[in-house]
Amino acid sequence: MISDPTMTITGARQRQGRFTVLQKWVSRALAGNLSCLIVPGPEVALSHGLDVTAAGMRITATPRDASVLLIIGELSEKMSEAVAVLYAQMPRPRAIVILGGQPPSTLPDADFSAGVSQAGLIDAVDWLKRALAKGAFSDSPEDFDAAVLHARIDYVCPMHPEVVQNEPGSCPKCGMDLVAREAGESAPEHDHDHGHDHCEHRHHEHEHQHHDHAQQHEHHEHEHHHGHCHEHHDSHEHDHEQHEGHQHSHENHHDHGHKHQHDESDGDAEEKDSGHDHSGHHHGGHGHDSHEHGGHDHVGHGHSGHDHGGHDHGSSGFMSMVEVTKDLPRSADGLAMDWMEVPFGPVFPGLPGGLKLTLTLDGDGVTEGQATSLVGMINESEEGKEIDAETFIERLASAMPLASVSYRLLACLAIERASGLENDSATDHARDVALERERIASHLGWLAQLGRQLGFAWLTDRAATLQLEIRRASGKRLVELTPALQALAARLGRTPLLKSRLKGIGILPSGTAGLSGPVARAADDAGDAWARLWRRLDEMTTSLDFIKATGEPELPALRNIGRGSGTGEATVETPRGEARLSLELEHGQVKSYRLDTACSHHIGLVATLVEGRELGDALVAVGSLDLSPWEVIA
Amino acid sequence: MNFAIVLFAWLGSAWLLAVIEGWTITGRLRLTAPLLSGLAHLGRESIVPRTPDRVFFETAPVLLLIVAVLGAAVLPLAPTLVIADLATGALFINAALAYVLVALIMAGWGPNGAYAMIGGWRFLGQLIAYAMLIVMPITAVAMRAESLVTTVIVGSQDSLWNIVYQPLGFVLFFIAAMALAFRAPFDLPTAPGELGGGVDAEYTGVRLAVLRLARLTLVITLASATTVFYLGGWHGPLLPPWAWSLIKTLAVAVLMLLAGRYLPRIREADLMRWCWTLGIPLALLNIIVVGLLVLVVP
Amino acid sequence: MMSVLEQYSLLLALVLGIAATVLALYGLARAIGPAHREPGKDVPASSGALSRDPVWGRYHARYYGYALLFLAFDMEMAFMYPWAVVYREVGLVALYDMGVFLAILFLGLLYGWSQGALRRQ
Repeated sequence: MISDPTMTITGARQRQGRFTVLQKWVSRALAGNLSCLIVPGPEVALSHGLDVTAAGMRITATPRDASVLLIIGELSEKMSEAVAVLYAQMPRPRAIVILGGQPPSTLPDADFSAGVSQAGLIDAVDWLKRALAKGAFSDSPEDFDAAVLHARIDYVCPMHPEVVQNEPGSCPKCGMDLVAREAGESAPEHDHDHGHDHCEHRHHEHEHQHHDHAQQHEHHEHEHHHGHCHEHHDSHEHDHEQHEGHQHSHENHHDHGHKHQHDESDGDAEEKDSGHDHSGHHHGGHGHDSHEHGGHDHVGHGHSGHDHGGHDHGSSGFMSMVEVTKDLPRSADGLAMDWMEVPFGPVFPGLPGGLKLTLTLDGDGVTEGQATSLVGMINESEEGKEIDAETFIERLASAMPLASVSYRLLACLAIERASGLENDSATDHARDVALERERIASHLGWLAQLGRQLGFAWLTDRAATLQLEIRRASGKRLVELTPALQALAARLGRTPLLKSRLKGIGILPSGTAGLSGPVARAADDAGDAWARLWRRLDEMTTSLDFIKATGEPELPALRNIGRGSGTGEATVETPRGEARLSLELEHGQVKSYRLDTACSHHIGLVATLVEGRELGDALVAVGSLDLSPWEVIA
Repeated sequence: MNFAIVLFAWLGSAWLLAVIEGWTITGRLRLTAPLLSGLAHLGRESIVPRTPDRVFFETAPVLLLIVAVLGAAVLPLAPTLVIADLATGALFINAALAYVLVALIMAGWGPNGAYAMIGGWRFLGQLIAYAMLIVMPITAVAMRAESLVTTVIVGSQDSLWNIVYQPLGFVLFFIAAMALAFRAPFDLPTAPGELGGGVDAEYTGVRLAVLRLARLTLVITLASATTVFYLGGWHGPLLPPWAWSLIKTLAVAVLMLLAGRYLPRIREADLMRWCWTLGIPLALLNIIVVGLLVLVVP
Repeated sequence: MMSVLEQYSLLLALVLGIAATVLALYGLARAIGPAHREPGKDVPASSGALSRDPVWGRYHARYYGYALLFLAFDMEMAFMYPWAVVYREVGLVALYDMGVFLAILFLGLLYGWSQGALRRQ
């Protein structure tokens, strides 16, 4: 347990000379009102047996409301970047507490570190209370900066968007000056900017175009889709949804004989994107981003795909909304609206931590979605690197925090089979009971997540309490808890709005490829979120019956394999589906392994599940899959 | 003098409601919790998002607070304990509460963030669902009282509370009041599980404190409106009238709180469909039934 | 009994008083210190991803079918307030009059329902 004896926190506020009494009171109030944002997610805290509310901190959903960043376990590199963003968005005074891992490289030193245990958490909270009361204001707090917070600036040719350089210069193809543009993230993103901020730029563009006399008017196309530039239209009444307005500004600068050339390849995403270019835009002072479209197919933003062929502005340059939106992609009801790409990123309340869901939203409906895991494990072992068997088991178990017992069992079985050990029914029974116990705990954790997602506070609390009890319960205690679990299931059946919330959401029929575990079994019923809920509740009951019949659980531990060699394969039904491990053992060292999990297949289903759904329904559908981003093999 | 008493009483009820809310969440009853929580918010930084619509961003929390207090200003604690006993009291409440929508749309549009924006527009959909279910039951209540003055409305219930006289109206009004206060299960604009905080998401520090205070006061206002319109206001044996008003208001507010705790969030499509296909015909039926009753019963 | 003007001026004073209180609170918070400007702090929170894209654009509100019907009913309610106040005085005739009005609007609701206005578009 490491703590700073001087009781300072790096995320303190600047102390003012005056109002020290107020600052003192405020510090004490802050110390008594700790709210934490748990990274990777509260479900990880529960699976490690940590009860954060009992320790005295309130769990928040967004970094804006949090004063403590609670990091549990090791974080992968991508998660470290996300955590840096989250930390930057927390208002000061803010503190970092790390349980059971090294501080990520992107963050400043942790204010408090401890092991992953409830005792460590309670010590952390005690320390935080004292540190905030004394050190919420400090004389010279450090700035927090991280590379991921800064935009990359790319220089792009206005006419050839594929020409991208890191330094200013001129385009090799046409000789035009390259224009600076911010890029917010390394992943290809597209942007729909419609900010007010473009107002000033519109003028530049017009002049630019006019002088340029370029025949390509793709640049103008995106203007049509920018909201509003009231300065331009003192003579017209527009609200900023009226794109005609821009046409008026258009006509001020051009004569009507203009024929707009446009990209022939309307269907090609790449070309469409070129029209979205923001030539002449100087983003210098703006915190405003325009992302070049990457390989992403953004049919959604086809703002560029404007077909103005033969287009007649008419005598007043008026363009009706029908014409303005002629080639934009339509929603299901035929309207052409602005689509935004919104991340429901790694640390989103209700979704499993580490799952990055990027949804393209048309209003509050999803048009397309993409899910990636930021904490997934890499599959093959490095060439030539052998791992000791015990180390391998520990590593695999700690890499899967939400199902550590299952993966420990998987590794033990695979290694024992590889070294040729015979099955021992006593240990097998004990291990199976432990596996079933984890199944119950895992499903309860999923129920808690469901409660968070649905705003069902009672379910979250009850499921979390039961999960903490059951995690390490003995067989006898588990039998005692049976009525509590049955009461939970009965209560869920009686909850009024739950069925309408879950029925018909996220349907995955039984023919879908790659289904496994409760999702697959529920697919035989109705395949929707409601069926999955009941399937998991039934599995809890079945597991309890098994435990009652079998005996006491025992955590899987590797039996003596000596210096065995061979190849072995094992399959375990984890709470989320089937996991298969095949490995090669040489003199007691694991030479190579191959892991296949259910979640790796399920994550591919997310894109089809969310398409065309309302946002809330889409998120519930993803949640009902019970994805564990750790089990997604990269 | 009355003014100060009533204002104090409403603030006190908001305080008590905050304490009770804290009790349901943490399990501990701390009477100083709201003060400490307010101080803590004051002490945190108040961050303004980049490129916001500054006017909207700043106005939204203040407007929400003003709306909630204005609504409470026409609701009586006792026959003479009311801030402003307007001749059009019941109508005024509706007018004031309409600005809740304005405040939330501002809070959604202002910060220029995706979650807030979706939350704001969702609330507009919610308003379209609940607005009629607030207004129609109030009309039925006014029919019985032959007046829009809130004290007269309470006075008309001295023989029989409206909850017995017009139970359908009560149910509809209660549900619509929860939707207006955007409390769970109708907390679509601020859903933590779907929108990461929604309209609340970008407010920090003192602005968040004002927003939270405004939400609490809004619940109190609506609970008090339910009491005035349906639960007989200050009528009751033994205790002084103002005590009964406050007790009933707090009871309704706690009921709203509990409903939120024990029910999952409703889907927006379902909310709108049920309000319009089921709610409005029922509200119209309520008006007709009350119309007949008013003529028949002396 | 205060006159109407007095009542409304009291309410206005209440509004201004609240605004002043809130401003005083803001001033108090500012006295403790301004927000420390750091990179990334003012970007709207998007759960771990830095998304600077502005979101002001045409939002596809899918409840426009309901919104149109809402307008009609809202106008109806504006008429019903004064009607409710004089209802008992006027008697059964009032019920017939308003009943016809309500029936017409209700037919409009039924028509909208049949044409699919009452669903998520």
